Amino acid sequence: MLTLGDIRKRFGATTAVDGLSLQVSAGEVFGLLGPNGAGKSTSLAIATGLLAADSGSVDLLGLGSPTNASVRSHLGLAPQEITLYAELTARENLLFFARLYGVANARRRVEELLAIVELESRANDRIGTFSGGMKRRLNLAAALVHDPKVLLLDEPTAGVDPQSRNRILELVRTLARAGKTIVYTTHYMEEAAKICDRVGIVDHGRMLDVGTVAQLVTRHGGHSAVTVSRGDQDERVLTADPVAEVTRQFAVGGVTGVRVESPDLEAVFLALTGRSLRE
Amino acid sequence: MNAVLTLAQKDLRLLFRDKGDVFFTFIFPMLLAILFGFIFGGGGGTSAIDLALVNESSSSLAKGIAGDLTRDSSFAVTTFATREEATASVRAGKVVAAVILPSTMQDGLDGLFGGSGIPIEAVIDPSHRAEAGLIQGKLHELAFRQFPRMFTDGAQMSKLFAGARKTIAGADGLTPAQRLAATGFVAAGELFTTSIDRSSVKSDTPATAAAESDAESASSAGAWSPVAVTVAELPPRTGGPRSSFDLSFPQGLVWGLAGCIGAFAGSVVVERSRGTLARLRLAPITQAHLLAGKGLACFLSALLVEVLLISMAVVAFGSSIAQPFMLLVAFVLSAFAFSGLAMLVAGLCRTEAEANGAGRGGVLLLAMIGGGTIPLFFMPPFLRTMSYASPFRWVVQAVEGPFWRDTPLGEQILPLVVLAGIGVLGFGVGVRSIRSTLGR
Ligand SMILES: Nc1ncnc2c1ncn2[C@@H]1O[C@H](COP(=O)(O)OP(=O)(O)O)[C@@H](O)[C@H]1O
Ligand SMILES: [Mg+2]
Repeated sequence: MLTLGDIRKRFGATTAVDGLSLQVSAGEVFGLLGPNGAGKSTSLAIATGLLAADSGSVDLLGLGSPTNASVRSHLGLAPQEITLYAELTARENLLFFARLYGVANARRRVEELLAIVELESRANDRIGTFSGGMKRRLNLAAALVHDPKVLLLDEPTAGVDPQSRNRILELVRTLARAGKTIVYTTHYMEEAAKICDRVGIVDHGRMLDVGTVAQLVTRHGGHSAVTVSRGDQDERVLTADPVAEVTRQFAVGGVTGVRVESPDLEAVFLALTGRSLRE
Repeated sequence: MNAVLTLAQKDLRLLFRDKGDVFFTFIFPMLLAILFGFIFGGGGGTSAIDLALVNESSSSLAKGIAGDLTRDSSFAVTTFATREEATASVRAGKVVAAVILPSTMQDGLDGLFGGSGIPIEAVIDPSHRAEAGLIQGKLHELAFRQFPRMFTDGAQMSKLFAGARKTIAGADGLTPAQRLAATGFVAAGELFTTSIDRSSVKSDTPATAAAESDAESASSAGAWSPVAVTVAELPPRTGGPRSSFDLSFPQGLVWGLAGCIGAFAGSVVVERSRGTLARLRLAPITQAHLLAGKGLACFLSALLVEVLLISMAVVAFGSSIAQPFMLLVAFVLSAFAFSGLAMLVAGLCRTEAEANGAGRGGVLLLAMIGGGTIPLFFMPPFLRTMSYASPFRWVVQAVEGPFWRDTPLGEQILPLVVLAGIGVLGFGVGVRSIRSTLGR
């Protein structure tokens, strides 16, 4: 669906992307997880064809590079910044983008989208008056006007309250169910774990590893902690194979309680970079 | 093409939603044009309006009006013997209007209820249309002020009421009820005026009250007024500025164009820094579309400013257009030149502050040397020479030619060519440098 091959990009002395490759399959939600400055946005900009990489290749749907406008039109991007017009209403913003994409029946499409992102009741309000969450949803809706096959969502929950965040995550799930291929960047590992089929861990412009959350945890998460209680006595054991450990403990006998703590993406990131995601 | 129109429509909508842009593009230039018009007009707004007065009537009514008019502090009155002399004085711009009290103005009150009213004529220069309303209102007021004098004259009153009864009796189309009401009104009026102790009516008060109520009922009746002020306009002249507004509106116009530069250079920079410009590029449109959309929006708003200002000069300040088609050509090329300049400023400025500074501040300098603040012919020679470097000068020259100077076509070519050149240059350099900031 979308393939980046050994992308490199420098801004002066800063290396933003340093030989990054990724391959996103049709219908999958692919997470790019990494701290601020990891090179996620730069990679997406290169994937859209608007930012030229210093080297490397981009292919969309096997059609070639999205620098070509007709290839690019299969792509929708919701940028990290809210790139809408604050002085226009929600409806005017969407209508503008729909017409720009030459969407047939633009008005009907806009009403559909307003319904999808649940902003019908505020459709005639200028978005300068919107909350962060509402702007985010509209920013996402604007990426959908032309019903693209591939969606690039750059930190779609940045600056949003928990309730709006859940709404946005639900929306992304709905889009995935509808068959969209989605690249989702975030620095929240919970989000990546919740909605992504596969996650790529990015730091300093490099793709450190790619896999399902389970695969990544198995590969890099390290040991699980098994805490076994015998009466008032707790015993904490670190193990690569918690099932075997629990079985072993039961064989010893006298077990009154067991708790297993599995490693998460945070542990994966720590193992891969020696740093915490949260800095 | 659709994409370009969509982009331009969006930009125009944004322009009209930005209070600052609307102010600097439309309101401020108008205020400036009007203000400068009054300042250079020498009248200074608050001083008395110069009037020529001709009294052709020998009636005491005319004498009363003439006397009140002369005493009125709103007017500086010069008396002429004939209406030809008075009209010539209007034409020469020495006075704003000529007021003529015609020989048909009779002492009798017969005419009052007969439908023709007290006739007063005025001849006004079309460039002083703004003052016409004021003069007209004042003449009405002065005429009404004569009524108490008539009402306190017993003989006049009897004649008036007799005449009124006769008019009512002879009037067609009155229903019996209306006829009765009208007769009753006349009778009541007669009773009221005859009950006034005439010797005590030296002070005008009660009679004035009566006159005012008369005036009210007259105006509420709407169709009929006891005073008939006829205002005639002199035909507009060509070849010279008919008023200071002919000079001040082209200046206001260049300020409006400067406002367009500020607004559009600003909008390009803002869209670049907020990332919307990059997002637009995601759509299947080219850079050319994007720039054409901006250019078109700027061009259209520049054109709108031009049309708006010159229309205002024509409608409200009596200017007239000598060569409409050539004026349109001048509008189009000025709008093109300034859209090009907007592109240039947008391309050269990186921050919003820079764009605002260049769009409004830098433009101020060019405006000053280009005759945007004071007309070129008021300038010392060295400044006048420098003005050739300013696009403002060329706009003023291009617009004034077909507007009021009525210059021969041949002389209009140069400023138009210069404006076209400025536009081509501005678009060329501006588009190139904007492109370099847009990436691919
Ligand atoms: N236009 C740019 N000019 C200079 N440096 C940039 C530019 N864009 C990104 N960078 C730098 O590249 C690195 C990666 O940035 P970015 O891709 O935005 O990271 P992320 O989206 O993961 O937070 C950062 O160090 C950032 O400062
Ligand atoms: Mg980013």
